[in-house]
Amino acid sequence: MNSGIIGYGAYVPRFRIKREEYLKAWGSFSPRGVEEKSVTGLDEDAVTMTVESSVNALKRAGISSNQLSGMFFASTSAPYAEKLSSSTIVASLDGPSEIFLADLGSSTKAGTAALLSCLDFVSSGRGDEALVGASDVPQAAPSDPLEHGLGAGSASFVTGRNDIIASVEGVHCSSLEIIGERYRRQGERHLKDSGIGAYTEQAFNHALTISVTGLLKSLELKADEFAYAIFQQFDGRTAYDIGRKLGFKENQISPSMTVTKIGDSGSASPLIGLCAVLDIARPGDRILIASYGSGSGSDAISLVVTDQLVETRNRAPLVENYLAQKEYIDYLTYLKFRRMLGAR
Amino acid sequence: MAYVSIPAYWKTIPQRYSLIASRCKSCGTINFPPRDICTGCGKKTEHEPIRLKGQGKIYSYTIICAGGAPPEFSEQERLGGSFGVAVIELEEGPKMVAQMTDCKPSELSIDMKVEAVFRRVYEDDDVIRYGLKFRPIRA
Repeated sequence: MNSGIIGYGAYVPRFRIKREEYLKAWGSFSPRGVEEKSVTGLDEDAVTMTVESSVNALKRAGISSNQLSGMFFASTSAPYAEKLSSSTIVASLDGPSEIFLADLGSSTKAGTAALLSCLDFVSSGRGDEALVGASDVPQAAPSDPLEHGLGAGSASFVTGRNDIIASVEGVHCSSLEIIGERYRRQGERHLKDSGIGAYTEQAFNHALTISVTGLLKSLELKADEFAYAIFQQFDGRTAYDIGRKLGFKENQISPSMTVTKIGDSGSASPLIGLCAVLDIARPGDRILIASYGSGSGSDAISLVVTDQLVETRNRAPLVENYLAQKEYIDYLTYLKFRRMLGAR
Repeated sequence: MAYVSIPAYWKTIPQRYSLIASRCKSCGTINFPPRDICTGCGKKTEHEPIRLKGQGKIYSYTIICAGGAPPEFSEQERLGGSFGVAVIELEEGPKMVAQMTDCKPSELSIDMKVEAVFRRVYEDDDVIRYGLKFRPIRA
């Protein structure tokens, strides 16, 4: 059975910190091409962000939460190491108590993995409509340059078989064993990486080259047949570098590059990029989305936009609306908001 | 705010997470939080659950400053500064008390239009207590 995306929605927290604040505090700001990034308020986490993006996705899908038969939640920064987050999200949406739940994590690829699982759940006939939310507020030590780029945000999608706004044309995935790249040991609070930029970049390029070239080959498509190409966004440059190597042009990539305004939103990053693209895409447009998770793996997905997208678009806020609603904070306030200073 | 045990909190999750109220089948009054004796007709009648939209306006408010926060909110005040607590008049009629969020206390005013958002309200017994706060509806 055919399935596709029937609703989408994003959420970006209100607070922002500019790169200049890091320059004042540390004399450097490591992520290339990032001007400012989003910061969660003291009362926000990956779960609360997903609730708002999910409300937006349900509005666009035009369905009630009690029609859902599955909820997939993806995050590397879920508030509990053990306890479902999806159940909290379903309860807050006043969703049904008879529903399949799945929480995914462990890598920034969890978002696309959850989206694909949610699409397969519906196409298998297990349910008519299902919800997927990817949300992250990753954390590293304030003294680690890796911390500079970490932002926050969430993206949700409703999948179904009727009134599809973007249908899946093809999927291709990759797996490589890479050690000592971005990681966090069990029970630790802070992300780490090897600090070797070239090593990380090589792993990223390798995993994405396998998934994306494999996808293009299986669909017999060329890079220029895609209106948009969305990649995992750790900073404002890496996606352009890999895109160029794979034959994509800057104007295919730039509309999804929300990382320059919100920072690295982990498992949500390519999916917030997808929301930004769906905000402007036209019927018939082909969209490539390629995620990356350290360790490592990549999911490449080809989506085709349908006529249905346009009429659902204005039922919820656009990504650019969230980007425009902002309040700047200084570095000291940032440390307190992220509980890196003064928390007991 | 007085101490609320985990089971006591759990029992009220539908009203705390998603504004589930009760509507009196005899006089139609919406009661929030839900209750057995209707505030409209004063009778113990049958009720049906109804989900409120979470839109409303500030009926009254106060500002919690340094030293004024109850223990479960003291870290929030220490890290985030003063915050507003408002009596919200919901579109459907009932009034409720809730924290304001994503705004400075100086932005608050009577009759300001607000909407409910799902947030972490506090932590107690090592457990996150989620619930609803309100934020200004900005044009």
